[in-house]
Amino acid sequence: MNSELTRREFIEKMKLATLASMGTGLVSSSLFNACSPAKKTASTADCVVLLWMAGGMAHTETFDPKIYTPFRKGMESKSVISTFKSIPTALDGIHFSEGLEGLASILNKGTMIRSYRAADLGFILHTRHQYHWHTCYQPPQNVQPPHIGAWIAGELGSKNGVIPPFIDIGQRFTVGEGEELKAFHSAGFLGSEHAPFIIPDPAQGLDSISPPPGMDSLRFERRQQLLKDLIDQSPLKHAHGDQKDSYIRSMERSYALLKSPEAKAFDLRFEPKEIYDQYNTGRFGLGCLMARRLVEHGARFISVTTEYEPFLGWDTHENGHSRLIKMKELIDRPITLLINELDQKGLLDRTLVILASEFSRDMLTEGRPGSNVKDQVDVPKIIKQAKHYGMHRHFTDGCSMMMWGGGIKKGHVIGQTAAERPFSATTEPIVIDQVHQTIYHSLGIVPETHRVVEGRPIYTTPDGHGEVIEGIFGN
Amino acid sequence: MTKRNFWLFLINVLVILMIRARDQSIALHREDPELVNIVSKVKKQPTLLHLEQLNLKIRAIWTNKCFSCHSSEKMKADLALDTYEGVLAGGKDGEILIKGHAAKSDIIRRLKLPKGHREAMPSKGEPLTPLQINAIALWIDHGAIWAESSGKLFYEAPLSLYKPKIPPSTSGITHPIDLLVDEYFRKQSKTRWPVLINDIQFIRRVYLDVTGLLPLPEEVELFIADPDPQKRNALITKLLARNEDYTLHWLSFWNDLLRNDYSGPGFITEGRKQISSWLYESLNQDSAYTSMVKSLIHPNPESEGFIQGIAWRGEVNSSQSTEMQAAQNVAQSLLGLNLKCASCHNSFVNNVSLAQSYGFANIFAQKPMEIHRCDAPTGQFAQSQFIYPQLGLIKADSLDDRLVELAAFITKPENGRLYRTMVNRIWHQLFGRGLVANLDDMDQKPWSQEVLDYLAAEFRDQGTSIKGLLQHILTSNTYQLSAQDYDGEENLFSKPFIFKGPGLRKLHAEQVADAISQCIQPMYEGSAFDPENKQLPAFWIWHHYKKFDRTVLPDPGTIYLRKSFIIKNITKIQSAKIIATADHSLKVYLNGTEIIQSQDYRKFRAQDISTLLKSGRNILAVEAGNDGEIAKPAGVLLHARIISEGKDTLHIYSDATWKTTDSLSSTSWTTAGFNDRRWRPAHRYSSYLQSPWGKLIKFNLDGYHQDKLLRASLVKIDPLQLALGRPTRENVTTKRSEEPGLLQSITLNNHPLLHLRIKEGAEIWFSKFLTNPDDLITHLYKSLLIRLPNPAEKKIMQQYLVPYNASSIEDVIWSLIVSPEFQFL
Repeated sequence: MNSELTRREFIEKMKLATLASMGTGLVSSSLFNACSPAKKTASTADCVVLLWMAGGMAHTETFDPKIYTPFRKGMESKSVISTFKSIPTALDGIHFSEGLEGLASILNKGTMIRSYRAADLGFILHTRHQYHWHTCYQPPQNVQPPHIGAWIAGELGSKNGVIPPFIDIGQRFTVGEGEELKAFHSAGFLGSEHAPFIIPDPAQGLDSISPPPGMDSLRFERRQQLLKDLIDQSPLKHAHGDQKDSYIRSMERSYALLKSPEAKAFDLRFEPKEIYDQYNTGRFGLGCLMARRLVEHGARFISVTTEYEPFLGWDTHENGHSRLIKMKELIDRPITLLINELDQKGLLDRTLVILASEFSRDMLTEGRPGSNVKDQVDVPKIIKQAKHYGMHRHFTDGCSMMMWGGGIKKGHVIGQTAAERPFSATTEPIVIDQVHQTIYHSLGIVPETHRVVEGRPIYTTPDGHGEVIEGIFGN
Repeated sequence: MTKRNFWLFLINVLVILMIRARDQSIALHREDPELVNIVSKVKKQPTLLHLEQLNLKIRAIWTNKCFSCHSSEKMKADLALDTYEGVLAGGKDGEILIKGHAAKSDIIRRLKLPKGHREAMPSKGEPLTPLQINAIALWIDHGAIWAESSGKLFYEAPLSLYKPKIPPSTSGITHPIDLLVDEYFRKQSKTRWPVLINDIQFIRRVYLDVTGLLPLPEEVELFIADPDPQKRNALITKLLARNEDYTLHWLSFWNDLLRNDYSGPGFITEGRKQISSWLYESLNQDSAYTSMVKSLIHPNPESEGFIQGIAWRGEVNSSQSTEMQAAQNVAQSLLGLNLKCASCHNSFVNNVSLAQSYGFANIFAQKPMEIHRCDAPTGQFAQSQFIYPQLGLIKADSLDDRLVELAAFITKPENGRLYRTMVNRIWHQLFGRGLVANLDDMDQKPWSQEVLDYLAAEFRDQGTSIKGLLQHILTSNTYQLSAQDYDGEENLFSKPFIFKGPGLRKLHAEQVADAISQCIQPMYEGSAFDPENKQLPAFWIWHHYKKFDRTVLPDPGTIYLRKSFIIKNITKIQSAKIIATADHSLKVYLNGTEIIQSQDYRKFRAQDISTLLKSGRNILAVEAGNDGEIAKPAGVLLHARIISEGKDTLHIYSDATWKTTDSLSSTSWTTAGFNDRRWRPAHRYSSYLQSPWGKLIKFNLDGYHQDKLLRASLVKIDPLQLALGRPTRENVTTKRSEEPGLLQSITLNNHPLLHLRIKEGAEIWFSKFLTNPDDLITHLYKSLLIRLPNPAEKKIMQQYLVPYNASSIEDVIWSLIVSPEFQFL
């Protein structure tokens, strides 16, 4: 590392790097590597959509079904395997769980990973596992690591200079564990410049990128002119230097952004009603619709979540079976539409879409088989009530993940889990470092990418670890 | 006992005896293993590197044993051992050493004299150990090589302070800081001082720096009119005496530094504890910094949150254990030393080794810590050791005693690093750049060692009053130099740096919010921390919303609540009052009569209800609405108090004894005759003290605090303050980002809360200056920019204020608030 490189040169380099990447789809490694040979890798994607199944999605009830064991009063807990029937998918011999017919029909457009192993953090705390998934670092950390979206925003910037690069849809922070959620919906040490644009309700997404409520565009323009006139007339004008100038420039840029026609990307009212209605299975469905619009308008990283709220969503501590019927209704149609529409519009080739969850669930095993993790869920030995029928414990040893587009192989399956309990990953185990490096790789962001924080290099993944998942790109 | 066991027993006894014997010798002459090591290295291979390492070791001994008399600041017997020149020059008795001839060197002779001898050294305290004396002799024999910090990979600032000589007063310059800076300017071949700021700039700057507030227009006028040449110093004294304002401003600095916050990860599992009350009291009383440091390291229940760190449930990387967090945070915050590298492996940003980090962390540990290298166990266990053992060796066995030892060592006057680090942080706050640029690496060189060490020594010798330090700096002309842009922030922190005056500073999030609260409209109503700790057993209640048997946030819509109570004798009532609020809206009925209506949880007022009460059963009924499109926090907060003769007081609080419904079957629900048997108990979504709305400080029946300004430093971080640069305090933050980011400027352009407050404020300003836009313009300038508008500005404003209404006033206020003149200091 060249310590003589001043910060200013640095920032210039960053701008150049960003410009270069915008033009060519190539990314130089981080600016701090100015002295090392610039490694470049060709990208296969320009943007990423993360569909987040918050709360722990049971693989055996969704993308990796096992033998169907229908509910019977008095059945033993250990005899419960999958609580849904299996359905065929677009791939011969591969089955999904009932209720995911749409997603089954598009498996030929992407890759399914059946062997993701979540970290075993010694105690299941959803937000801690989610923090790990999204930042690749286990909390706590003595510097705050950025969300993967913030890294991508920081490295690549906006595609068109208008739409914020990192947009985070669907999570409210007023729910339980809200503070823990905030801890990773953050740009960390990259600074608020790369922080997510947070849109809890896609129906109101436009608000965050519009003039203030109740201000028409004429008045907004007039107000901006007033500010400009006053700055021009200020007796301190001659005292302006770089710092004030860049502040003024930043104010002007944000004004331009708020006035920009591109902001319409956030306005779902521009969608034809039939499309809107098809997506609208709830906030998650509308989030998928907004994600598609944002992909079209230049965002880099969009996260849409089913939303984490303790004991709700995928976090089934009881009524697992009946609640999963609803969850599948929530996700199946909009995700299928999103993939198909991106495909039809020719955008899927350069858009990587990922479906993932912090871990899986099982009826019996908490954490990993054999690990000593405190049990948090009451599962009776004999099931007498329907509410005990489902996957209620948190399982980390085998989880499903889907990827479509952005150079990812089509109609491909990676890894498998055991046919018998515990349903652990048995081949090609995949860990989070690999998932992150795979995503970065698709965008042309090299594993050496890092920032120097308090004198230490901090990489996108811990010490830059993680190989790109073997054989996931291609065809 | 078998034969084998007997031998084992015997060996044990022998080992114990040997250990005892060794312990005794250690107690007398505890030798530093590193010194043993380096002495043997020099004996085998007297390379330059080894000799320099030996020299550094010897200087560490001198720091501990000799500097209390023979340093540049003390100069007893005209001898200073802290510089090579001083060592070679010797003292009033002549040279202390002859290079290459230890036997002929006076220092060795004196060190070897028996304790109590007139010429024995050191004259106070324990003599040096034989090894230490031998090491010094060895060093002299090999030529008394002086290491210019090259013995270690990284430069290390000397631990002790030296008191630079203050140049004599010249041409009206009398303040010691100014005299040192004057000398600095001369060295930089600057003959003239840059201009000082005028009275208006001064009053704004000093107000914002001491209290975080803007001066009121009346105060500005009085100050400018004041002919007293000492008025600036008088104002500084006056402002520092405003304890509450001072405390509430500097609280943010300390919260950042000590990683203290009112919300954030960890609290949910009780893995984290606030130190807010302790901190507030310490600042309010201007406790000596050394006492604060002692309370942080050897804490009381109110201050223990600092070294306790943040514990997340589950297994944690060994470099993030709470003990290691304590070591890292104490090192960073208090000593300007980065231990984060060295908590995984030997550091590559400074000289700290993995073993040293663990040794330091081990002081805070209940059980001995196993050293982990990059999270892998090494099988070795840490020995408690302070990073700077020359200040003292940790010997105690119990955790509590170790902390007492550490607290004593770290606050020793010899530990210049402690004082330098704080002085440098305060300097950074006031000048936008520290004397040492990197506030967390006090081994870097300052732009003026003289100013840094002078101030640190002054701070230490004057009893470590933070206010005293502030006063000393603020009264210097150096502080009153005009702000420099330094051609942008990136140059401000680059090397080489040439000081020309304070750097331009961006107002902090709290200062912006407080200025708006002061001049336009209170930004916040609910505090997260209440220094007065007022209690109220009321809850924010709502109809219980459930999904799958789990409590969830309330959906949008209208709900109804009822509470009945009995009054025995209406004639005995002396007073009856009620206060109520809700997010988002409410109507309150008493016995069928509407008594309160509100659309804004911040707006509430105590009301008399005595005329509506009756003997027997009374009914309070509330209709409340949750607005918006998606489920979100909602609540009703209510307190009624009915005082009767004979001290018989009835309190009614919003709590779980209320009944609720979300569907109404009859219009008579507000009256006593209605049957609410089918209604459900209200759900207590949050308490008065802890709620999404904060603790509403004005919510009381007796009119307390109605005019109180709730400072942003007491409020939980919100998206607005986050965007304006207030840090989330999961980690120590010593320097806030001042880069203008897009997110920040978008926030200034369209943040709903900012927009709402300006809008509300504009209506008030409009009502005050209904027909007089010129007066409004003048007053706005005076309040927000602390000056009058110039004619051109006035004209622009006048033109904009046609038509003259609340909306145009709102835009004018906004333009002043986001103007660079307001945003920068």
